[in-house]
Amino acid sequence: MIVLGKVALGVAGVAAAGVGLICSEGMIEVKVVERQPEAHHVYVLAPAAVVPMAVHFIPSHEFGHASAELLPWMPTIRAALDQLREVDDVTLVDVTEPGQHVVVAKKGGSVVVDVNDRDETVHVSAPIRAISSTIEQVAAASHDSLN
Amino acid sequence: MRKGLRSLAAVCLSAAMVAGMAPTVLAAPAERYLHIKVDDPSKGESVNVNVPLSMAEKILPTVNKGSLHNGHVTIGKADLNDVDVRAILDALRTAQDNEFVTVKEKDQEVRVAKSNGNIIVHVRDSGKESQKVDVTVPMKVVDALLSTAKENELDVAAALRALSDAGDALLVTVQDATQHVRIWVDSRNTQD
Repeated sequence: MIVLGKVALGVAGVAAAGVGLICSEGMIEVKVVERQPEAHHVYVLAPAAVVPMAVHFIPSHEFGHASAELLPWMPTIRAALDQLREVDDVTLVDVTEPGQHVVVAKKGGSVVVDVNDRDETVHVSAPIRAISSTIEQVAAASHDSLN
Repeated sequence: MRKGLRSLAAVCLSAAMVAGMAPTVLAAPAERYLHIKVDDPSKGESVNVNVPLSMAEKILPTVNKGSLHNGHVTIGKADLNDVDVRAILDALRTAQDNEFVTVKEKDQEVRVAKSNGNIIVHVRDSGKESQKVDVTVPMKVVDALLSTAKENELDVAAALRALSDAGDALLVTVQDATQHVRIWVDSRNTQD
């Protein structure tokens, strides 16, 4: 009985550590509310660490020219994301047009994009660390396809 | 005993003073933001951009495309009809406060002046599409632009650093019949 208890405790500990590891990079949140022609709601909340892992398993040729085109801009992207991590929360871009409102902001370690228009509302929040890791993976795919 | 107490009091007072000064000395300089605001009330459109200057400073040197490389921009004389921009800026930098250029035409007035450590450009167009343009550039920014050794280059990265060291400043305003554009620098992360 004691052995079983220890095993259960071990399994629970490993599971908790796994969940902690997966959630360590924060969560990606996607919320889409379509109003027209039919009302649809989509809500996804996924651990951000999963995305770079998933990208790792995509064959490099699937990225096409994207990764090669990304490569020369990597120093700029790295600098931008590094600095974005450092700065305080800020609304970077706010665009208002009749019937449409777009906001791109940095909030608590994440990049948040909100789009509101007549037909739909879209909210995307992704941790900067996860964006960085994913872009690094996509850029690395360019090296893989060259080799 | 009294001497001992006095010494102790002096040490405590010094410690208190140092502790009081510490936050001032150690505090990181406040982040500064470049704000761009474009309003078009006739179309109900508005665009607001807020860029932390530290971010722009770090990103700019990494962009190597066209005439921009390592935070420097190369200015070809052919592009500017053989006008030596660097020489003009250098002349403005060393000149005393004055109004340098005043051009008055039927529908247009242009003024270029140096005042209180700033270069000021005013353009007033009262023609069919009336327009008002005001540009104020701190001289420190001009100095920074010219800080590169190469004749045909301007150091934009240094100019950004100078801009972040300068005080709050309204850099550009453009007002025409429909649109209003403002570009300014301050330490607030919003435009409110």
